[in-house]
Amino acid sequence: MKKIININFQGRVIPIEESAYDTLKQYVDSLRRYFATEDGRDEIINDIESRIAELFSERLKRGSACITDDDINAVITSMGRPQDFEEQAGAAEAASAYQAGSQQQAPPPNYANVGRGRLYRNADDKIIGGVCSGLANYMGIDPVILRVIFVILFGALFWIYILLWIIVPSQSLQTNITKRLYRNADDRVIAGVCGGLSSYFNIDSWIPRLVFALPLIIGLISGTMNAIWWNWDFGFAPRVITGSLGSTLFITYIILWIAVPFASTASEKLEMRGERVDLNSIRDTVKEDLENFKTRTEKWGQEVKQTAQDFGNRASSFGQTAGTHAKQFASEAAPLARRAGSGLGHVIGLLFKVFFMFVAGIIAITLLGVLIALLFGGMAAFPLKNFILEGPGQNLLAWATLLLFLGVPLVGLITWLVRRIMGVRSKNHYLGYTFGGLWVVGIFCFVFLIGSFARNFKVRMPLEDKIAVNTPANDKLYVDVTPAHLEYYHGDWFGFRFSDEMPVYGVNMDTLMLNTVRIKLAKSKDSSYHVTRVRLSQGNTRDIAVRNAERIQFAIEQRDSVLYLPEGFPVSASDKFRGQQVLIIIQVPVGKRIELSDALTHYDWFSINVNNRRGWNVNFDDYSDESYNWDANTEYIMTPEGNRKVSELDPEELKNGRFKIIIDEKNEKIKSENDFENKGDKNHYRYKQLEDSIKEKAKEQLREELKIQDSIKREKRLKEIIKTSSASDNAPASSNGGDDEPGTAGSEGHIMSPLMMLSGMIK
Amino acid sequence: MNIENTQSQMRKGILEFCILSIIRRGESYPSDIVEEMKAANLNIFEGTLYPLLTRLKNADMLTYRWVESNSGPPRKYFSLTEKGQTFYNELEATWKELANAVNALAKKTDSMPDTTNQNPSF
Repeated sequence: MKKIININFQGRVIPIEESAYDTLKQYVDSLRRYFATEDGRDEIINDIESRIAELFSERLKRGSACITDDDINAVITSMGRPQDFEEQAGAAEAASAYQAGSQQQAPPPNYANVGRGRLYRNADDKIIGGVCSGLANYMGIDPVILRVIFVILFGALFWIYILLWIIVPSQSLQTNITKRLYRNADDRVIAGVCGGLSSYFNIDSWIPRLVFALPLIIGLISGTMNAIWWNWDFGFAPRVITGSLGSTLFITYIILWIAVPFASTASEKLEMRGERVDLNSIRDTVKEDLENFKTRTEKWGQEVKQTAQDFGNRASSFGQTAGTHAKQFASEAAPLARRAGSGLGHVIGLLFKVFFMFVAGIIAITLLGVLIALLFGGMAAFPLKNFILEGPGQNLLAWATLLLFLGVPLVGLITWLVRRIMGVRSKNHYLGYTFGGLWVVGIFCFVFLIGSFARNFKVRMPLEDKIAVNTPANDKLYVDVTPAHLEYYHGDWFGFRFSDEMPVYGVNMDTLMLNTVRIKLAKSKDSSYHVTRVRLSQGNTRDIAVRNAERIQFAIEQRDSVLYLPEGFPVSASDKFRGQQVLIIIQVPVGKRIELSDALTHYDWFSINVNNRRGWNVNFDDYSDESYNWDANTEYIMTPEGNRKVSELDPEELKNGRFKIIIDEKNEKIKSENDFENKGDKNHYRYKQLEDSIKEKAKEQLREELKIQDSIKREKRLKEIIKTSSASDNAPASSNGGDDEPGTAGSEGHIMSPLMMLSGMIK
Repeated sequence: MNIENTQSQMRKGILEFCILSIIRRGESYPSDIVEEMKAANLNIFEGTLYPLLTRLKNADMLTYRWVESNSGPPRKYFSLTEKGQTFYNELEATWKELANAVNALAKKTDSMPDTTNQNPSF
């Protein structure tokens, strides 16, 4: 007594015995698994199914009431079982191994014992070295879980993987995994990842959901709280939960989403829960899985072979275009390789392929490294973008570059890795074309961005102005940094620390602090100090460059003998960074001293290449010029030959106004060829001294005059006092005196004043 | 090394050539191909044939046409493309070379050159 059911098979209603249906279903499933990695899988299965349907129809037409077990077996025999295909079409080695396994109905000798015996790498189910698969087998979990862990913690686990790869021996392992991780289509909120995890670990599905959502919820709550009561700090949880852990969980979710398939068929759903009790799958639990692994590895091998061949073909066609020599070689090698004939040609072809793949692989890895470096570099420079990019066009290009040129290859790589892990092979190449196209767009964006970016730095213009400086009383100018009024954010920035070499020493949302400042010590042409401030900036046109230079705020201030320079100068987000620089030229008169504070050394050095054609005839790029290479906290004195450290000069001679270098430690004055006093004309120095003494005399004269003027002022003040204290009739006289004052000679005033005083006293 | 393995490997190599030489003569239905090969004493499972046909079709060697059938779903009839024809011609040339070489070797009856005489140590 057998139950008969009606099934819809290839669009036809077919009455079939239930046990025959089970056999049929099992058979089709085994085919599906056999062709799992085949390109035209669905088509093949469909063709076979429709042929079976045809055979069924014939049988029914001949008068059978239904399809019986015998019919099914006859059909299957004529179609062939997967093991029969192997024999006919598959790789011979795999087929024989499979046959050995299935015929003896016992594990063949080359399979290791199932379960926790020793740790092996799995030779059958591997992506790189079979480490994850072997570990998973050892621990009895799904290899996918371990692979995902290894991918996420790539940095930490890389060496462990390599070590295990080297140490652990490889074996063909019979799987003992009865449970696999799937995404649960029936129990899902977003992608069923949590549902799948919960059925894998046999826990309620709210637990993984909470774990994944908690950082987000905490972040949201504390964020809202902080937004409302901004002055309280709502630290609900350590930052590690909301920060790095949260983002890791988020990435894990995304990777699981992409990597883990939905449990779509009934058997997959059973596998997801670890139940393997259904009629259809109980028989071939071990066998089919084994077969699946075998075919997969075999397909993998074929794929590699195919790729190698493709490469070879591509190489030969490439060679044809490359030139006659290569053409000859390719036309020689191609038929040889095709025939796989006599040893030498084959070996040459193979070597060529291997070499080509090796080179291609190295290039690919290098490119990838560069891309990742650029991506992280781009992200690190991200807060600077407001200061560099101008207008919506450049911003758009920058975003497009970041996402397409740098992001797409990374996403593509991750997708490729994940698909490799899952063993997914797509029929079409749309994904590849899409990624490729987007990346090409990214390249164009990058090129345009660089182009438009470079235009903004086309012209450099200087803006020169003189700063008035009084000669300090003790003939020594001290240069220091102004104590900052504003505290700019300084230090860590996305875990990225500004080094001393960087020109930027602080940044906040809208201000970038630059310290591209240089100080040049020069010889003054006259007897007083001069300070020249040169502000330089780049721009698209000369006008824009000059405007940018005008916007540099670098206020120099003198207090007594100290010249204060700002710590740097701000560039606002609207000003943009256009290579702004400031050059301070301090001209020191001969014989006068200068000392620069240690604080000035934090200025970033820069070189200026000024285009001489444009009228700026000073070469600031001259590093050999000692006037740039001053030591901080060291007293310098200006000699006719340039600035010298005071400690280098003989103090005794210095008192007499002569500059003599101490060469020996014992204060011995050696007149060598290099001694600058010997080089110059001595008379010249005497003349200089003479000039100095004349100047001293002139100064004394000046002082005398000042004294006289002072006395006149005192007199005037006295007059006023007299005026206020005496009667009003004296007023015209005093006013007359006041009017006359500019005109009167100093000596007259000097003589007059005692008389006036006396008259005032008498009154 | 067992005999079946070697035999199946030998058959496997010429399977595509056989199938193409049947399809070359005109539009063919897979089960007819199987019948014809059976008649020529070459046993093949339909389950082996379908993937082969699909692969050849995906490689543009074959094309197919749907033909309505009164005994079931519509049938796929396969025929050669131009590319398939050149592919077949090349296979044919190779086959002839191989067959000649193998036959020549297998038919050779004269004994191998005697190596013992050439050995100087005796």
